[in-house]
Amino acid sequence: MSTAVAPPVALRVEDVSHRYSDELALEHVSLAVHKGEFMTLLGPSGCGKTTLLRIVAGLVSPTAGSVHLHGDDVTRLPPHKRRVNMVFQRVTLFPHLDVFDNVAFGLRLAKVPKQEISTRVRDALALVRLEGFAHRRSDELSGGQAQRVALARALVNRPEVLLLDEPLSALDLRIRLEMEVELRRVHRETGATLVYVTHDQHEALALSDRIAVFDHGRIEQVGTPAEVYRRPGTAFTARFVGDANVLAAEVSVDGSGQTRVVVGGVALTIEPAQPPPAGPAWLVLRQEELSLQASDNGAGPGRLSGVVRDVGFRGSGYTYRIEVPGMPEPLKVEAPAAAAVAPGTAVAVSWLPQAGFLLPR
Amino acid sequence: MSRGDGGRGLLSGLTTALVLVFLLGPLVVVALFSLHSSASLALPFEGFSTKWYSEVFESDDFRTAVEHSLVLATATALLTTLFGTLAAYGVTRSSSRLGGAAVALFFLPITLPLLFIGIALLVALARAGVQLSMTTILIGHTIVAFPFFFLIARVALERLDPMLEEAAADLGAAPWRAFQRVTLPQVFPVLLGGGALAFMVSLDEFIITFFVSGSETTLPLYIFARLRTTIDPAINVVSTLLMTFTFLLFVFAFLMGLRAERRRARRAAALEALG
Repeated sequence: MSTAVAPPVALRVEDVSHRYSDELALEHVSLAVHKGEFMTLLGPSGCGKTTLLRIVAGLVSPTAGSVHLHGDDVTRLPPHKRRVNMVFQRVTLFPHLDVFDNVAFGLRLAKVPKQEISTRVRDALALVRLEGFAHRRSDELSGGQAQRVALARALVNRPEVLLLDEPLSALDLRIRLEMEVELRRVHRETGATLVYVTHDQHEALALSDRIAVFDHGRIEQVGTPAEVYRRPGTAFTARFVGDANVLAAEVSVDGSGQTRVVVGGVALTIEPAQPPPAGPAWLVLRQEELSLQASDNGAGPGRLSGVVRDVGFRGSGYTYRIEVPGMPEPLKVEAPAAAAVAPGTAVAVSWLPQAGFLLPR
Repeated sequence: MSRGDGGRGLLSGLTTALVLVFLLGPLVVVALFSLHSSASLALPFEGFSTKWYSEVFESDDFRTAVEHSLVLATATALLTTLFGTLAAYGVTRSSSRLGGAAVALFFLPITLPLLFIGIALLVALARAGVQLSMTTILIGHTIVAFPFFFLIARVALERLDPMLEEAAADLGAAPWRAFQRVTLPQVFPVLLGGGALAFMVSLDEFIITFFVSGSETTLPLYIFARLRTTIDPAINVVSTLLMTFTFLLFVFAFLMGLRAERRRARRAAALEALG
């Protein structure tokens, strides 16, 4: 990745801001998506990610900023003149047309020769594994099938960028997981440039080449799934993507140059890669990096003592919520299934010194 | 308990029957006497004959009236469909605050007495120096039919998913194309039914026609003119024909609406299955 020449930029969004009557939906957002890349816009609902997608599609005209497709400024171009195609959150197949005519819709408007339409539609349907469905009516499809037709209908036009607006959110879990596999395969096979909107961090981590984390109309962080998960740049990203424990901490450096981190009145041992500046900070502790022990000798450096408040079975393990005196929120801990600890048990929470890192607060 | 229910059932059944007789009785009598063998319009019924039908069909005045009425009804249906579709589409797709005011204005003719519209139209036409003709009748009929069509078309268009038009635009359809290829096919049966309704409204419109017809005649005017001179079974014949035709049109309009509704329900059910 680092030595290879980066592929050209397919989509560039420059300093885009958008305001709906009295609400700021996007604030100075800039983003570049490379050709062939699977870019996910991840954030809670109302964070502006769908607005950005609609701006790229041309369905919303931004209050400020510009959108470029392969270097051309398309900001003022109406949607039907942009070479981008979208898969919507809801099923938007045309109810009066069958599957074939739905997929052929864009090609017919582009006046593609009839013979070519027929081959391209069949190829697109084969790509989404719906070969036998060409003459099904759109209301005879299941939800997963309908979204696959929508995907074929968009891809068949060979768009410069394919936009997907939470296309799986209306499907149930089993179909959603199947569709994730399909999406990855389609992306591999077509090499299409994808911009994918979701509020589901698992989906984002599983699918993307890169993730742009959104909050309140701004991009918090852009990075590969591993970067965003392991090294969140902000407390919001740590909470939203990793579902990590984010604790308000006080950092001080003692006389001997040792970093001291105090959370809720308890001093903790942390060995950050780079010593943080003294002052308020966020301590990020991921759930799976914490472990539980029977509480026999109370709190000490590197460990906190608390009481189990909630246990949830996750198949591969348990998730616990541990109430720790002095902390505003219970600690979330993910532990292997070996031995379940009952609610009400006093426990000690510990972690390796390398685990956990600090973010500016 | 059960006896009480039975009594109430009987009573409501009886009431229904009486109302139906009251409403439909005269129509049956009209149809029956159109086939009467004598000129008498009173019982006893003396036998069947189609001679009044032959007489009516041979009358030049009748034929002119029918011709005019059909031309007017067709023109009214076309004009109303065109204007009504544009108005309803504009209102449903507009985010402007004037949208609500426009809806109220488009509905207004329904709330006004026809007599009032007739007089107002006549005065306005006279002031403008417009000769009364088939065109002025057409204007009058369109004014009356428009709100009915608008009401139906607006409901149908409002029920459409606006995201389908966005999807069409996204796939390369300019706004007019999107309307033509995606919106129109979905509401077409409803518009056809609305057009049939406008046709019916025009076919038996009397009051406004009376004011703005000048020397032209239409079927309702023809019936009225004949009634003033004689009362004979020929009137019954014309009324029966008008009634039958209007009824068939109504059935057509109803079926078209039903078809669109079924289609919508199927789509809704399909969407439901996803959730």
